[in-house]
Amino acid sequence: MNRFLPRHAWDRTLAIILIALLVAFCTLIPGFYAGFGGTLAITDQFLPFGFVAIGLAVVILTGGIDLSVGAIASLSAVIMAILTKSGGLDIWLAAVLALIIGAILGWLNGIVITSLRVEPLIATLATSFIYTSVATALAGASPPYGFGKPFGVLGNGTIALVLPVQLLMFIGIAIGFSILITRTGFGRRIVMVGYNRDAAHYAGVAVPGLLRKVYAISGFMAAFAGIVLASYYDAVRPDMGNILLLTAITMVVLGGVSIFGGEGGILGVTLGVLILGVLRQGMLIAGFSDMVTTMLTGAILLVSIAAKNLLSDRGFGYGALLLRLINSRKQEATPPNT
Amino acid sequence: MKSITKTLLLASALCSLAGIAPAHAQDKRIKVAMVPKLIGLSVFKANEKGAIAAAKKLNIQFLYTGPVTASAQGQVDIINSLIARRFNVITITSNNPTQPAPALERAMKQGIKVVSYDSDVAPDARDFFIQNTSYPAMGKAMVDSVEQYAGPDAKVAILSSTPDAAIQNAWLGAVKTYMTAHFPKMTIVTTQYGESSPSKSLSAGLNILQAYPDVTAIIAPDGAAEVGAAAAVKKLGRTGKVFVTGASDPDSIRQYVKDGIIKASPLWNEVKEGELVMNVARLAADNKLKPNDTFTVKGLGTYAVKNKVIVFSKPLVFTAANIDQYHF
Amino acid sequence: MSAATMDAAPQRRRPRREIREITLLVVTVAIILGVGIVKPGFMHYDNLEFMVLSAVVLGLIAIGQTFVIMTSGIDLSVSAVMGLSAVVFGLASTTVHLPLAAALPLCLILGTALGSVNGVLVAWVRIPPIIATLGTYSLFGGLTFIVSNGTQVDQVSNQFARFGNGDLIPHLPVPTPVLALAAVALLAWFVLNHMIFGRNILAIGNNASAAYNAGIPVKRTLLFVYMIAGALASFGGLVFVAYTGSATATTGTGDHVELQSIAIALIGGTLISGGRGNLAGTVIGSVFLSVVITALVFLHVPAIWYSAGEGLMILAAVTLGAKRGAAR
Repeated sequence: MNRFLPRHAWDRTLAIILIALLVAFCTLIPGFYAGFGGTLAITDQFLPFGFVAIGLAVVILTGGIDLSVGAIASLSAVIMAILTKSGGLDIWLAAVLALIIGAILGWLNGIVITSLRVEPLIATLATSFIYTSVATALAGASPPYGFGKPFGVLGNGTIALVLPVQLLMFIGIAIGFSILITRTGFGRRIVMVGYNRDAAHYAGVAVPGLLRKVYAISGFMAAFAGIVLASYYDAVRPDMGNILLLTAITMVVLGGVSIFGGEGGILGVTLGVLILGVLRQGMLIAGFSDMVTTMLTGAILLVSIAAKNLLSDRGFGYGALLLRLINSRKQEATPPNT
Repeated sequence: MKSITKTLLLASALCSLAGIAPAHAQDKRIKVAMVPKLIGLSVFKANEKGAIAAAKKLNIQFLYTGPVTASAQGQVDIINSLIARRFNVITITSNNPTQPAPALERAMKQGIKVVSYDSDVAPDARDFFIQNTSYPAMGKAMVDSVEQYAGPDAKVAILSSTPDAAIQNAWLGAVKTYMTAHFPKMTIVTTQYGESSPSKSLSAGLNILQAYPDVTAIIAPDGAAEVGAAAAVKKLGRTGKVFVTGASDPDSIRQYVKDGIIKASPLWNEVKEGELVMNVARLAADNKLKPNDTFTVKGLGTYAVKNKVIVFSKPLVFTAANIDQYHF
Repeated sequence: MSAATMDAAPQRRRPRREIREITLLVVTVAIILGVGIVKPGFMHYDNLEFMVLSAVVLGLIAIGQTFVIMTSGIDLSVSAVMGLSAVVFGLASTTVHLPLAAALPLCLILGTALGSVNGVLVAWVRIPPIIATLGTYSLFGGLTFIVSNGTQVDQVSNQFARFGNGDLIPHLPVPTPVLALAAVALLAWFVLNHMIFGRNILAIGNNASAAYNAGIPVKRTLLFVYMIAGALASFGGLVFVAYTGSATATTGTGDHVELQSIAIALIGGTLISGGRGNLAGTVIGSVFLSVVITALVFLHVPAIWYSAGEGLMILAAVTLGAKRGAAR
């Protein structure tokens, strides 16, 4: 299928964009380069989006969607805070329990989708309403805060003085998920289901079981993001995950994962996370308002996906033709619609 | 430090080029940011209006910047960028007291002064807090308005913003305390939330009136909520039977005050409050204000600082008689 | 032709088209009767009218969304289009005193233009609909802030208010917005079932490349569909501002109207994978949601659980329809 731009080509493009962005910001924006450690610390402000994006990417690879990630992040963080503040549990134990709860909430999404046969979009929208209510009820009139210095390391800490803990965790998780998707049978089945669900079914893949696991993974990563946010803010709020969803979807798609499933990889998502995060923080530091930053993010999403289409065969005629002429020796031109 | 000096030099150069003589030539020019809960609401715009006027007099380079949604994370992103841009003072009305606190503490560690106003943050995360009015006075004003028009045995519905909104909860606490102490026959029949969204507030208001037909007053201590409640009363033709009070800017509620749905609604002068915020920012940047202190601002009055808290004014109660004097 | 449909997973389950709207109607009537027995006020005419009235804005937008989903697309930008229109026409009404007769056609033109941007991005640039409209969501949303310039609409002219609240035909106690929804629904039904354009939409949703090979103008049809969604979202914004009298820059986006409209279309029995739409289901679905929310208030459910109640009822409605569909 030459219809798609080879994945590593898109990844390479993203990597070049990221490096160009970093170089440009460090030289052009006063205040962006604040020493090696200071600049790396910027990642603390957006990596929670990245944790969500990686979990969401796995769901989107199967051709599904999870709109409940924000609600799961909030609810898990609120449960963790209550377990430690009212239940007297050790904060780290509470965090582990919250991760498990996040996975269970995601698994429940999977149950609704596979057993009740509800479309992922509507199922996760409905469960997000329910999870939000529970989080609001549990958090009460003055949601808990103040989890102590050691816990703050997760969101704000550094190792060897300059390496942010969040960034190290993100890299570790990204590598782990990359191996999971590309090197394991489970990962290949995920992509296969997304590429052609019926074919996967006939090839003997137990699709419902696989989907339940995938939504559990997404719930787990959402809970992880919620816990990191709780550490970063040293507080929980029942609405603090709300802003995660749309940005995380944007990151996944910018990273080259097809919204219809079956195409894309974790490396691209990782780069998408870093590009969008650095871009937003850099633009804010450069003095652009939140409004302009948000609008430009939207424009960049459109332009980059249009460019991706242009580079692959999907694009509008002229560009595709040009590219096909250039590549005619390397690639077999394929007719559209196949 | 270099870039601050550079900015200052540049700023002063620009000033002299433009021929603007700073009012206080002895003060150095400072950069002050005002961070509202979100941009796009008149009530925050009113703060900005006063702040701009005061900033001109105080040799302040002023920036009004906020998130496009009422999200604390959006505010934190902006605070972080303001730190990197080396602002001298950050003034903020916070979406919630806890989430922006660590970012503001980081700012304070770097020598940036933090002044919160209206909705406070955790006390450790700001140098001064400008409280719009005293909370018991605000609660009393709302309950008195209910008592005067719906009677001491009024059945009251509450339409707030969200269950964990700090300032709304503080006002509602004061409402309940004053109510039980002075009007024991007054009852609160239900509490609903409009999430500061005009459409959700309106549906909540309509639902209250449909589901609780014996309600005679609605206390809606939130800009969108008071408008939603009043619009609901108007739509269902309950004018004269249900009275609304709350906390909203005069432009939003003007029509309902004139219709007689809102008889008396307390707030404070948001424009003048913006002026005070800038004056406190200037004093804080110059280290001229102690945690317990008094100071005088020309045209605003004399203020007492108690434990870093400055109470701006008594509630300003809007009625049909005075509302046309205020435009914000 | 459209890459969108090529990659979509094949539809595995298709509840018979008539089933969903009947289940939904039965569930809605059951809720009305059930709650009505416990709380008789629920069944009063004015409450029924009010529940339909509060469904109008979402209903209009969801009809446009239904058209888009039938082509196996999705439109996330409807909330931004709605907000932009609400602010534009609200401000036009208050500042330049734009008459309603001019606002109505202008609103349709504005929405159509914004929708055509989506259409071009989807049909010609071939960006997957969810991405294209996510991008324009940010762009149109930002535009709203630019147009409003930080202020809000507080009170529209009487002419607008009458359109939003009054009765169009004397002695027929049906509010104008409800009539507007009925007219739009009828028109949409006619277009879908009695025009070639409607058949083309379904053909594209079922199999875009087959539709292309059959000589259907796929790109043009997609463009028109997104224009319809934009026009209806804009009309929804106009009705909103006429009905509520106020609008802010976060109108629409703040309430996640885009997700609600998608939910309504899917609850109504339209398939997310395209090729099958249910307009009656969409209209009943919007009323269903409004009935659910009002019922929760009438039953004195604490406000924090409304959202959970809504989520459970959505799941119930969707699974009930599917089960019965599968049983046949």
